[in-house]
Amino acid sequence: MRVVLAEDLFLLRDGLVRLLTAHDFEIAAAVEDAPALLQAMLEHRPDAAIVDVRLPPTFTDDGLRAALEARRQVPGLPVLVLSQYVEQLYARELLADQAGGVGYLLKDRVFNDDQFVDAIRAVAGGGTVMDPEVVAKLLGRRSRDEPITRLTAREREVLELMAEGRSNSAIAQRLFITEKAVGKHSTSIFAKLDLVPSTDDNRRVLAVLAFLNS
Amino acid sequence: MAKWTVLIAAYTAGCIWLSMRRMEASGTGPKTPRGRLREMGWGLALLGLTISLFGLNGVNHWPTLIAMLIAGLVLVFLPRQAAWMVAVMLTVLGLYGFLLVRAYQRGYNVQTLYGLVLAGAGSYRTEFLLPQVYVFLVLGLWLLWRTVGRRSRLARQVLERKPPWRLLLLPVAVIAIELAGPTFGFSRGVWLILANLALLAAVLLIIWRFPAGAADLATAGLIALGLYGVALAFFWPSAPFITYDASLRFGAVLVGSTTWAALAGLEGGLMLAAGLWLLPRTVIPHARVLLRPEPDADLADRVEQLTQTRADAVDSAAAELRRVERDLHDGAQARLVALGMNLRAAEHLIPTSPQAAIALVAEAREASSKALTELRNLIRGIYPPVLADRGLADAVRALALDTPLRTETDIDLPGRLDAPVESACYFAIAEALTNAVKHSGARQAQVRIQHARGMLRAEVTDDGCGGADPARGSGLAGIERRLGTFDGIMAVSSPPGGPTMIVMEVPCALSSPRTSSS
Repeated sequence: MRVVLAEDLFLLRDGLVRLLTAHDFEIAAAVEDAPALLQAMLEHRPDAAIVDVRLPPTFTDDGLRAALEARRQVPGLPVLVLSQYVEQLYARELLADQAGGVGYLLKDRVFNDDQFVDAIRAVAGGGTVMDPEVVAKLLGRRSRDEPITRLTAREREVLELMAEGRSNSAIAQRLFITEKAVGKHSTSIFAKLDLVPSTDDNRRVLAVLAFLNS
Repeated sequence: MAKWTVLIAAYTAGCIWLSMRRMEASGTGPKTPRGRLREMGWGLALLGLTISLFGLNGVNHWPTLIAMLIAGLVLVFLPRQAAWMVAVMLTVLGLYGFLLVRAYQRGYNVQTLYGLVLAGAGSYRTEFLLPQVYVFLVLGLWLLWRTVGRRSRLARQVLERKPPWRLLLLPVAVIAIELAGPTFGFSRGVWLILANLALLAAVLLIIWRFPAGAADLATAGLIALGLYGVALAFFWPSAPFITYDASLRFGAVLVGSTTWAALAGLEGGLMLAAGLWLLPRTVIPHARVLLRPEPDADLADRVEQLTQTRADAVDSAAAELRRVERDLHDGAQARLVALGMNLRAAEHLIPTSPQAAIALVAEAREASSKALTELRNLIRGIYPPVLADRGLADAVRALALDTPLRTETDIDLPGRLDAPVESACYFAIAEALTNAVKHSGARQAQVRIQHARGMLRAEVTDDGCGGADPARGSGLAGIERRLGTFDGIMAVSSPPGGPTMIVMEVPCALSSPRTSSS
C-alpha cells in the first residue's frame, strides 16, 4: 500500500516513516509543507495520505486545506488527517463531500500502532474514521429533536463505533454480539436516518455524517 | 527772614544739645561727640525737612512750626524713630509736589520754594519741579522700604507675592494719568483729584487681586508709553495727543521744546526697553496659558478608564499565567516524571520479567496519552488552535459545535480581527455560552456576530430562565473586564423567566479577508 506522509516535525515524520515501513507500507513521499503535500498527492495518487493539520508555510490549518484541495481535484482521494487536537468543525469539512475515504485522528492514536494501521487501511478502503474524542463530543450534546434521538441505546453504540471506522466484525467483537446482529442494527440505523439503500460503505459514511450533523 | 533764621538755628542747637545730654545720661550709644552726632543723623534730617517747609508756605507759618516742634521732640526723645519719619516726610513732600505742579499748570501765581527750586508762574524753573518730585518720591519710598517696609507683615503680603513686576503698574498708571490728566472730562479741582484717587485705588486693587494681570498691564503700559515717548522725540512739536498748552508732561519731563522732547524720547526708550524685557516674563507665558486648549474632561475620564482597564488587563494576564503554571506543574509535568520513572523501572525488569516490563511500558504509554490530553486542554484554554488557524468566525462555529446545547450561529465576518481582540471576543462568547449551559437551563442558544462601521457586535441569546446579573456573576463581570481592555462594552438583558441576551460591542478594525478553504 502506497502512502504520502506530511509532517513538519522531523522526529515525528521519521517515527511515522519507520512505523509505516515496519507495517509494510510503501512511502511514496514524506514531505514537510502544504504545497509539497498537494503536489505529492496529485502526482503519486497514493492509496492514502497521512496529513498533519498544522503545516508550513503559515502553520495554521495548511495541511487540512491542502488535503481538501487535493480531494476537490481528485474526489475520494483517501486522506487521514492527524492533529494535536480535534475539532468537529474540521471533521465536518472533511466529510462534507460525502465521498468517504477520510479519517481524522488525534496524534496520540499513533501510540497504538495496530489501531493506527487499521485506521489507515479503513480510510484507504473508502471508509470513515473519526477520533473517539470527536464522537465523545457529539455525545456530550443534548440534542432532542433530531432523527438521531430515535435510535436505541444499542444502535447509538453501533453508530459510534461505525464512526470510529470499525468494521462490522470489529463492532461485533467490541459489543459482544454477533456480526449478524450488527448488520441488523446497521439496517435499522440506516432506516431511522432515512438513508436510501445504496452500497453499504456509502451508507455508513452518510450515517456517520448524519450523526455528526445532529 | 533773619529773625526766623536765628530762631531756627537756636532751636536746632538746643535740640542737639539736649539730645547729647540724654545720650550721656543714659550711658548707652557712642561715646565721642562725633559718633553721637552721627547717631542723630536721621533726627537732624527730619528737622531739616520740616524747616524746608517754610519755603512751601510763605503766609501761615504755624503748621511748619508745629512740624518743627515735633521733629525736635523726635530728635531728642525718639532718635531711633526718626528714620521712617524722614521717609514718610519725603514721600508726602513728593506727593505734594504733584499737586504743586498741577497748581502751576492751572495758573497758580505764588512763588514757592520747593526743595532747591524757587518756582513761580511762568518761570522756566517750574519745569524742574517734577524731576524733584520723582527724586523725593523715590528717596522716600526707598527709605520707607529700608526702614520699616522690608520687615513688615504688609511687605510680605503685598510686596513678596509673585510676580514682582505687578508693582510697576502703579508708576505706569501715575505716568499715564499725568499724561492724560489735563484732558479729563471733569471740571477741574476736587473732582479731578477724586477721579485720580479712584483710578489709583482701582490700580491698587488690580495689583492686589490680580497680580498676574497687573504685571501684564504694566508691561503693555510700559511698551505703549515707551512708544509714545519715542514718537514724541521724533515728531515734536506735531506729536500726537498734544492738547494742553503746546506742552505735556511725560514721566519726569515736562515737554515744551525739542530738547525736552529728546529727553522724553530717552525716557520712552528706557520704558520701551523695560517693557520688552518684561514681555517674555509676563504677557507671553500668560497668553500661552490662556490660548492653550482647555484641559478636556473627557480626556481625564479616558485616562482614568485606561488606567483601570490596564490594571485589569495586567491582573488577569498575571492570573492566567499563574493558572497555566499550576496546571503544567500538577498535570503534564508530574505525568512526565511518572513516565520517566516507569520507563526506568521497565528497563530494570526487561531481563528478569519481561511481562511485568511490558505492563509498565503500557502504563507509561497511557500516562503520555493523558499528559497530551491535559496539554491539549490547557492550550485550548490559553489560545484555541481553531482561533489561531481560522479566526473568530470559525472558532465560534467550532465552539457552538462543542457546546452541549443546541447552538445556532449567524456570523458575518469577512475578515480577521487583531489577535488580542479576537481572543478576548472568543473567550467572552465562550463565557456567555458556558453561563447559558450551566445556569440557564436553556434548550438552545444563538450566537450572532457582525462587523459594521469599525465595531464588532456579538449577541449571545439563550431561551433559558433568565435572571443573569453581571453584578453577581463573576463570569459576566470577567467578560466586561476582558472587553474593557479594548474599549469594548457589554450589555445584559435577562429578565426573570428569560430569555437572556448578552450583547458585546468592541471597536476594532477588520483586516482583509484571508484565503480560506471553506
